[in-house]
Amino acid sequence: MGEKIGVYVCKCGPNIGDRIDVDTIVEDIKGIEDVTTAKWHNLLCSEDGLKFLKEEIKNEKLTRVVIAACTPKTYEHKFMSVCEEAELNPYLLQMTNIREQCAWVTPDKTAATEKAKKFVMAAISRVRVQEPIEKKEIDIQPDVLVVGGGVAGLEATLTLAQKGRKVYLAEKSPCIGGLGARFEEVYQTMECAPCMLAPELQEVLQRENVETFTLSEVEDVVGSYGNFTVKIRKKARYVSEEACIGCSACFEPCPVEVPNEFDEGLSRRKAIYLPFAGALPNVPVIDKDNCIGLKGKECNACENSCAFGAINFGDEDEIIEKKVGAIILAIGSTLFDPTSLTALGYGNVDNVLTGLELERLNASNGPTGGKILLKNGREPGSIAFIYCVGRKEKGYCSGICCMYSVKLAHLVKEKLPDVKIYSFYSDLCLPKKDHQRLYGEAVDKGVEFIRSDGTESVTRKDNNLVVEYKTDSKTKRVSVDMVVLAPAVEPNPDTEKLAGFLDIPRDEFGFFSEEHALMKPFGTPLEGVFIVGSCQGPKDIGDAVAQGAASAGRILSRLIPGEKLELEAMISEINEDLCGGCNTCISLCPYFAISRDEEKKVAVVNETLCRGCGTCVAACPTGAARAKHFTKEQVFAEIKEVAK
Amino acid sequence: MKEPTIVSFLCNWCSYEGADKAGNARLNYPANIRVIRVMCSGRVDPEFVIQSFKEGASGVLILGCHPGDCHYKKGNYKALRRTYLLKRTLKQLGIEEERVRLDWVAAGEGERFAKVANEMAETIKKLGPLELKS
Repeated sequence: MGEKIGVYVCKCGPNIGDRIDVDTIVEDIKGIEDVTTAKWHNLLCSEDGLKFLKEEIKNEKLTRVVIAACTPKTYEHKFMSVCEEAELNPYLLQMTNIREQCAWVTPDKTAATEKAKKFVMAAISRVRVQEPIEKKEIDIQPDVLVVGGGVAGLEATLTLAQKGRKVYLAEKSPCIGGLGARFEEVYQTMECAPCMLAPELQEVLQRENVETFTLSEVEDVVGSYGNFTVKIRKKARYVSEEACIGCSACFEPCPVEVPNEFDEGLSRRKAIYLPFAGALPNVPVIDKDNCIGLKGKECNACENSCAFGAINFGDEDEIIEKKVGAIILAIGSTLFDPTSLTALGYGNVDNVLTGLELERLNASNGPTGGKILLKNGREPGSIAFIYCVGRKEKGYCSGICCMYSVKLAHLVKEKLPDVKIYSFYSDLCLPKKDHQRLYGEAVDKGVEFIRSDGTESVTRKDNNLVVEYKTDSKTKRVSVDMVVLAPAVEPNPDTEKLAGFLDIPRDEFGFFSEEHALMKPFGTPLEGVFIVGSCQGPKDIGDAVAQGAASAGRILSRLIPGEKLELEAMISEINEDLCGGCNTCISLCPYFAISRDEEKKVAVVNETLCRGCGTCVAACPTGAARAKHFTKEQVFAEIKEVAK
Repeated sequence: MKEPTIVSFLCNWCSYEGADKAGNARLNYPANIRVIRVMCSGRVDPEFVIQSFKEGASGVLILGCHPGDCHYKKGNYKALRRTYLLKRTLKQLGIEEERVRLDWVAAGEGERFAKVANEMAETIKKLGPLELKS
């Protein structure tokens, strides 16, 4: 049985009707082989037009349809739906654009008519060789893995969990809450961060559909969107989370003392410890690198002090394997180490701190119980903040350091109203609606902002620190008791490892690269893997939380329990009989969608990952790769008509 | 004398929309610019270009997203490499390399599309129709 092609030319009122001789085109194509119906319509996209089209397909028993109208960008999806309603495979429709790319750009009606006819002829030739494409759907695993328990990861976890999703939360450190949990107060609300986070942390730990793995790192991921298998290493805690009641009786007897990294080394902790007071889960951890008992020496002081038998020296790392449909990376960032900028004296000169160290001094659960003290135990009479530390070296503005420094100045002024504060900046970054106000209030409190050229140096003179700076081409000096640096935000060192086995790109600075800076700022080229919070780029708490919630929203709207995942229809396929196994396509695919079948020695397309760009097809030397709906035959059919 | 046609491969995401914008703004360009939509400039097989010449085209325009803006990350760079090689081959076959032009037109660049189209039409007009020796 021959094909029955219906051709419909839309006049779009006067838009096409006045500029192209539609009647002539319709008459001219009536005699073409297989074209059983050729008609014009005044406005195909109207309700009446769509109804007309549906009836035509049914009544004329059409097997293929050509629509010559406006750009397919506007109504192609609508016309495809009509085909589906009329039980015609929507990929047996071809649209050609005789409005934007013909009628509207060609003032001469004869020339426009001739061009439009060529377009219609090309569409007829093409539609003849088009093939029906059946929608492909795959079963999915709706559970989600969130990596990183900072604000972004917590928000993602809770947004998913509150909708009933099972979430596995893997956190590398012994406690959840991230950097935020270590701040006393945060801008721009100047709110107590632990208080703000506590309900979220509690909910994450208490929810039955959230499984939290602390001391845990992702070691491997295989699979693709909807069906990942992840391997998590849960390191030994040596303290049973079930038996421990969090009474802290084990700390005192421990004979080992080391600097506490959670206080930026400003306090000391035991080998069995809780990172900071109030850390959750409230279960200590034994640091196996420093515990003498674990190193084979005779010591079981903690074990003896525990009334609940919670200490377990025989604890071992556990490998946990889970199947998930999507992965949210929220591993956060770290601060640039200012030691390399020797002129600033950090690491060499006492009382030169980073912003994070001052955060810990100011925190009531910190090393000084919230007192801002110099190394000698006295309160500082004057403090110099130096902004933009490492900006030049890193090559980007971190965007949050000005504000956290302004915030710290506020907090210091609250505790020590008479302290003199100088803030050296070269550019101030105060982009959000409350930032100018907080800056203005700091000025009102007497914080002196001094614009310098970013070449500050810090030296010790007697009991003071001397900050030398250049402003208006003049070199000046000021003597202070404490210097606080605002280092740039830089990628978490784990970014490289995760990007490696997930095969997702990093940007020139080492952060994870988003799929699209504006439209998909938390997506990656690997579908189903999201990057949220500061692992994607420096971010404040509000922005990190927004991304966490947004990624969860994406998952909730597409990865639905009980529903299948509809895959992109217009993808590439590789004919294994023609494939020579040269691997050219594998290296070209921007989505890592092609892999090699070692047994058959051929390339195989992963239908879940392929997005149908067709670059593999253009490069395939044997013609084994084929782009569905954009095959060589289909493009050649168009060329034949339009090149004439 | 036959009219010299220019087969224009436009990527779906940027350049095709750029051409639509030229239409919205009612910018004129010659009717011998004949558009074929492809998903990505990286899909343009050198064979498409050769075939266009074989079927009677006198010029081929390949338009993609600006470098760094490709909807599929890097398809336009692949088009760039392929076009470079293709032009060298065409030259050896006696086909002027100006008959193939690869350029970038963003979705909002209606004016730029019209400019490139007019320039290409002008170039081909000067070169005259392509006569392939069979």
